[in-house]
Amino acid sequence: MKYSMLKRLFYLLVIVFPLLSFGNDDAAMLFKKANDLYAKSQYKEALNTYQQIIDDDHQSAAVFFNMGNAAYKTGDIPSALLYFEKAHKLSPGDEDINFNLKYANLKTTDKIDAAPEFFLSRWWRAFILSISAKVLSVWSVLFVLAASGALALYFFGNSVSVKKASFYGALALFFLGGLSIFMANRQLSYFDDHKQAIVFSNSVNVKSGPVDKSGTLFVIHEGTKVNIMDSNNGWMKVSLANGNEGWIKTTNVKEI
Amino acid sequence: MKLRYSILTFLLFCTGTLFGQGIKFTASVNKNPVATGDIVEITFAVNGNAERFSPPQFTGFQVAGGPNESQSMEIINGNSSVSMSYSYELMAVKEGDFTIGPATTIVNGHSYTTNPIRIKVIKGRSVPQNSSAQTQNGPDNSITSAKTSNLAKSIFIKAVVDKSNVYMGQQITLSYRLYVRGVGIEQNQPDAIPELNGFWSEDIKHTQQQVQWHTETYKGERYNVADLKQTILFPEREGNLTIDPLGMKFVLRVQAPSEDIMDQFFGSYKQVPYTTKSAPVTIHVKPLPQAGKPDSFTGAVGEFQIESSVDKTTLKANDALNYKVKVSGRGNIKLLKTLSTNFPADFDKYDPKITDSVIENENGVAGDRYYNYLLIPRHQGDYTIDPLKFSYFNPAANRYVTLTTKAFHIKVDKGNSQSNVTAFSDGDKQDIKMLDKDIRYIKTDDSSLSNSGDLFFGSFGYYILLLLGPCLCFAAYLYRNWLIKNNSDIVKVKSRQAGKIAAKHLANAQNQLQAGNAKAFYEDVFKGLYGYLSDKLNIQYANLNKETIASAMKEKKVSSRLLDQLQDTLDLCEMARYAPVTHISEREVFEKAKSIINEIENEI
Repeated sequence: MKYSMLKRLFYLLVIVFPLLSFGNDDAAMLFKKANDLYAKSQYKEALNTYQQIIDDDHQSAAVFFNMGNAAYKTGDIPSALLYFEKAHKLSPGDEDINFNLKYANLKTTDKIDAAPEFFLSRWWRAFILSISAKVLSVWSVLFVLAASGALALYFFGNSVSVKKASFYGALALFFLGGLSIFMANRQLSYFDDHKQAIVFSNSVNVKSGPVDKSGTLFVIHEGTKVNIMDSNNGWMKVSLANGNEGWIKTTNVKEI
Repeated sequence: MKLRYSILTFLLFCTGTLFGQGIKFTASVNKNPVATGDIVEITFAVNGNAERFSPPQFTGFQVAGGPNESQSMEIINGNSSVSMSYSYELMAVKEGDFTIGPATTIVNGHSYTTNPIRIKVIKGRSVPQNSSAQTQNGPDNSITSAKTSNLAKSIFIKAVVDKSNVYMGQQITLSYRLYVRGVGIEQNQPDAIPELNGFWSEDIKHTQQQVQWHTETYKGERYNVADLKQTILFPEREGNLTIDPLGMKFVLRVQAPSEDIMDQFFGSYKQVPYTTKSAPVTIHVKPLPQAGKPDSFTGAVGEFQIESSVDKTTLKANDALNYKVKVSGRGNIKLLKTLSTNFPADFDKYDPKITDSVIENENGVAGDRYYNYLLIPRHQGDYTIDPLKFSYFNPAANRYVTLTTKAFHIKVDKGNSQSNVTAFSDGDKQDIKMLDKDIRYIKTDDSSLSNSGDLFFGSFGYYILLLLGPCLCFAAYLYRNWLIKNNSDIVKVKSRQAGKIAAKHLANAQNQLQAGNAKAFYEDVFKGLYGYLSDKLNIQYANLNKETIASAMKEKKVSSRLLDQLQDTLDLCEMARYAPVTHISEREVFEKAKSIINEIENEI
């Protein structure tokens, strides 16, 4: 009886794993080709090849990261920042991505001192962004399956020690599964709530309202990251890291 | 200062001093035009030792006196210079324009001539022709005493404005005029200089150094009139503003009555000090109308034009761009505030350099004002310098006018990056110099390439997989409960397992059959059937006999045929334990027992 349960679980995992890795041979080949081009310092061609992967409706943090690198090497800092940010969104905890993002940010014109943030909210953000949503979702499924298995073991266990161990094990696994789901959910809603964009125009007047006539509050330059707070009729309300807010034309930026 | 200049020249004119370097031979008159019967003094002056002086013909005039010769000598640094003058007193006899021809003289062997002088004679008192020399004292005999009441009519200052009801900022021309009639001015000096509070004033500078005299009839009397001071005023606040009076102190030469015949002959004068000042003038200043006041209005009143220009439309970042605005017209041009320019926010801009070229004259202030803005674009891009709006109030038309210059499109190319950095050298940012570092290398393996649209988290598949565990778990739970419930009734379990136990006995029986052990065979068959029935019918093994089996079987509604068969088989097995069975083979018995168990299993 127990044996057959475990067998079923095993089959389940065998079905699940292939679902999680949507490998694509064409995309993988393009990726390799682009990497070779990059290694030969043909950054523009590499960027184009990476772009093909994106155009084929495939994406990954690595592709965006490499695109950012290629754009950086061609001197296109705003594009580099855009790609790094996209990679960061897919894999928030990746050290390489965060490093290159910081490094490319040094090349922008505007120096914006981030407004101080409460340490708890900073920790909380670091926590929910530490693992990518994709990994978290796989983990959550595995945790819940393992927890279910442990619970089944508890149902059919003969000895008290087995029953005890499987019961507490199931509780812990269910908790971890729930936590994974919660983190993935928070992460997605964080990126939903924190829509950001990179300025692509050389110089953008930030206005006090969504009309041409309104007064210019300040000027930002290409490469600056803005938080999108609202959008309205070709204009978007943005805020900077230092807390300044205003309206700019949507055409001046590209959303991450 | 200006006032003093004009007074000085006035004085110089009155005393008839001559100026000049080198040899100058000039002719001058003390007044022009003159009225008939008036005395005009003509002076010929030369700054050298004149050897022979020949006067011109004074046609149209009677010589009332002269020639009066005067000579002066001064020695400067050992060089002596001599100046001489000859003056004649002429009485105008007839109306009309007369020209006094050139006088000639010889100085150091050279001959010099004066320019002819035109004198206009207007209607005055009638003069008897060829009157004797006594009439030379005649001209100012209307004043015979130095009474100040009379003097007030003979000399006074009037403040004259061209308009007295104006808008704020509208220009007014103010003239202080000196009216003189029949007295000579020996000395003058200002007494009260007007302060002109409430006005922004701009003095009119005359190109001519000398005060210009003209005649004017005022209250039926003919006066010699000179503008002492002319000022253009711009009222700075609304309400009734008073223009302060101008006061002057004079020493006048008036004719004194005399009984002495000699005095009468040569004329007797005395000097009288006299002070006068103009009457204050009130200007009514209206506020500018609020209705239709444009946003770009900053206080310009008058009539203006505006034009703007840039020195280039394509340049590199960090290069300078000059934006020039020219405001021209009449009005308070010097009072214009900075224009409300609208430059791209990203340009560095500096305060404009303002250059004026403005002329003040009797008609007011007019001219150009240039605003020169220096702009420095810091970043590449296409920029637009928005049109400049300039508004003014036209007091003549009584309305606001808004002028707009054209817009300029400026293309800024990428500048020298070096200078870009210095322009925005922002201490902290430049400090981070990681000369030996670069961005990290690309990621060369990628196992997570996914379709961009697919987000595993939250997808249908994800939920299915997530729910799979709990579902299986629930199923396991139900299965366990079912198992517990099923196994809790021992009778049922026994009856369920009866067939299996029977099968075991039958299997044993088969082994015995193959071994040829008939007795054991029948015993096993018997045990199998009995054991089966005991479990199935829930009857204690000890209580099993034909009767109990039959009643229990009937209770379970087993067919009587099957019951008979069972009874037969059981009897046969019992018999076979004691006596050999001949009519039926062991195999047949075995098959029979098997079929009976099967049939009972089916029926119960």
